[in-house]
Amino acid sequence: MTDPTPIAGVEPAPAEPVVPAEPVTTPALAVDHVSRWYGNVVAINDVSFSLSGGVTGLLGPNGAGKSTLLHMLSGFLRPSTGSVAVEGTPTFGNPEVYRRIGLVPERESAYTFLTGREFVTASARLHQLADPEAAATRAIGHVEMAATEDRRIGTYSKGMRQRIKVASALVHDPPILLLDEPFNGMDPRQRLHMMELLRRMAAEGRTILFSSHILEEVGRLAEQVLVIVAGRLAASGDFREIRRLMTDRPHTFTVRSSDDRALAAVLVTQPSIAGVSLDDGMLTVRSTDFGAFSRSVTGLARRAGVSLHELLPTDESLESVFSYLVRR
Amino acid sequence: MNAVIARLTLRQLLGRRRLLLLLLLGGLMVLVALIYFLNRAASGGEAGSERFAGRLLQNFGLAVLMPLVALLLGTAALGAEIEDGTAVYLLAKPISRTSVVLTKLVVAAGGAVLLTGVPVLLAGLLAAHGPADGLVLGFVVAAAVGSVIYVAMFLAFSLLTSRALIFGLLYVLVWEGLLAGLFAGTRVLSVRQITLAVADALSDAPTTVLDAQLDLTTALVVGAILLVGATALAIRRLQRFEIAGETV
Repeated sequence: MTDPTPIAGVEPAPAEPVVPAEPVTTPALAVDHVSRWYGNVVAINDVSFSLSGGVTGLLGPNGAGKSTLLHMLSGFLRPSTGSVAVEGTPTFGNPEVYRRIGLVPERESAYTFLTGREFVTASARLHQLADPEAAATRAIGHVEMAATEDRRIGTYSKGMRQRIKVASALVHDPPILLLDEPFNGMDPRQRLHMMELLRRMAAEGRTILFSSHILEEVGRLAEQVLVIVAGRLAASGDFREIRRLMTDRPHTFTVRSSDDRALAAVLVTQPSIAGVSLDDGMLTVRSTDFGAFSRSVTGLARRAGVSLHELLPTDESLESVFSYLVRR
Repeated sequence: MNAVIARLTLRQLLGRRRLLLLLLLGGLMVLVALIYFLNRAASGGEAGSERFAGRLLQNFGLAVLMPLVALLLGTAALGAEIEDGTAVYLLAKPISRTSVVLTKLVVAAGGAVLLTGVPVLLAGLLAAHGPADGLVLGFVVAAAVGSVIYVAMFLAFSLLTSRALIFGLLYVLVWEGLLAGLFAGTRVLSVRQITLAVADALSDAPTTVLDAQLDLTTALVVGAILLVGATALAIRRLQRFEIAGETV
C-alpha cells in the first residue's frame, strides 16, 4: 500500500523545468505512529498506514476507534502522538486541507431548514468555487438526487440525507473522500447505488476511505482493508487475505447428539480439533480449521454410529472474530 | 466575514421559536411603557416619568432583556451547531476559523442590538414622553454596546463548555446581580455596570435616575478588553476545535 520511498542519494535528473510534478512519493493519506487518548482511555494505539488511490475499508467493531481515526484524518482531532497528513500536509488546525478532502460525517444531523439543493450550493460557495450552481448540479447528479433536491432536508429519509451529505462532500471534486459509516440506515438498493458511486469515484483516481462494522459491506466494496480492533491496527491488506484469516481462525461449537461421549472420543483424534470438553452434559468442540471440521464432522459421527442433533457455533460475534485477529 | 456563513447563521438564529420568545420579551417591556404612557395621559401629569423610564430601562431593559437576548443568540450562534453536529459541515471548508468566528459574532451581535435596542427605544420614548434629555438615546447606545460585549462573551462561553447557557446565566445572575451589589470590586467586570456608565455619560438626566457606578473611561477600557479578549479566545478555541470522541 505504501509508495516506495526514493532510494537515498539518487536525485531525479534535472530535466527541463517545465512541470514541477507533484512528488509521486507523497501518499494521499499518511498515518504515522498515531495514538490518541482521552484521559486514561486509549482510543487509538500506535497506528501507522498510508493510502493512495482505490477504495479502502476501515473495518472494526463499534467503539474500536474508527471514528477517532477518521476524525484525525479529517483534522477534527489532534493526534496525541504521531502525525496524520493529507498529501504530506498535517491535517489538524489547517483548514486548507479541506480543498483536498471531502468528508461525510457519521452523524445524521444536517441543516434541516435548507433544501438539499441549498445545502450543496452553500457547500460549493463555502469552497469558493467559480460556479457554485454548476458544481452543485453536478454533485447532486452524482448521487441521483436531482428529483428531490428542492425538498427540505428535514423531510428526507436517512438514505437521502446520507446521499445529500455525499453530494456536499463531492461538490469541490476532492481527490480524497472520507466517509464515516456511509451505509448506515440505507436500504439495499441505496446501498448498492452508493457502492457503485464510490467505485466510480475510485476509478476516476480518487482515494476513498470508508468505515464500517459490517464485514460484508467492506468485502463487496473495498479492495484494501484496514482492520481496527480496540484502537489497534489488527490487520491490513487485501480483503480476500483477511477474509481467509477470519474464516480459518479457531471456531468453537456446541454439539448435541445421541451419544456425546462417543462422539467426543472420535473427535478428539482428529487433527483439526484442538480441544473437546464435556461439561454439564454439553459437548463443546474447539476446532482449529473451520473448513476441515465442517466437512468431516458428519462423516465422523455416522461412522461412530452417533446421530447429530445440533451443531451450533458459540462464538460468532464480530468482536470475537476481530479479537482473534489481534491475538494472532 | 463570510456572506454564506452569515446567511446560514441568520436563518438558524431567527428561523425558530427563539425569535418569537425574544420578541415577546422586548414586547413586554414596551407594553409596560405603553400602559404607563396611557395612564399618565389620562391623569394629565408628566412629573416623574423620566424617573420611571430610567428605572424601567435600567431594571428591565439592561438587567433582563439585554443579557437574555445576548445569551440566547450568543450561545446559539456557534454553540448550537457544535452541539447538534452540523458545525462539521461549516468547519470542513477552506475558510479560516477567524473568519467563521467573526462572522458568527457580527450576525449574532447585530441581531442582539436590534432585538434589545428597538424595544429600549420604543419603551423609553413612551415612558419618558419623548427623548428626555438624551436619556433614551443614552440607553439605546448603551444597550447596543452592552449587547455586543455580552454576545462576544457568550459566544466564547459556548466554545469553552457545552453548558454555556448555564454559565452565562450564572454570570448575569450571580456575578452581576449578586456579587456586584455586595463587592464594589466585581463591578469593573460587569457588563451591566459598563452599559450603565455609557447610558449615564450620554444623558443629561439627574443622577438619581441612573445607578452608574463606573466612570466612562474605565467602562470603555474594560468593555474593549472584554470584547477583544472574548473574541480572541473564541477564535483560538475554534482553531483548536475537536469533535467529542466516541469513547468519552
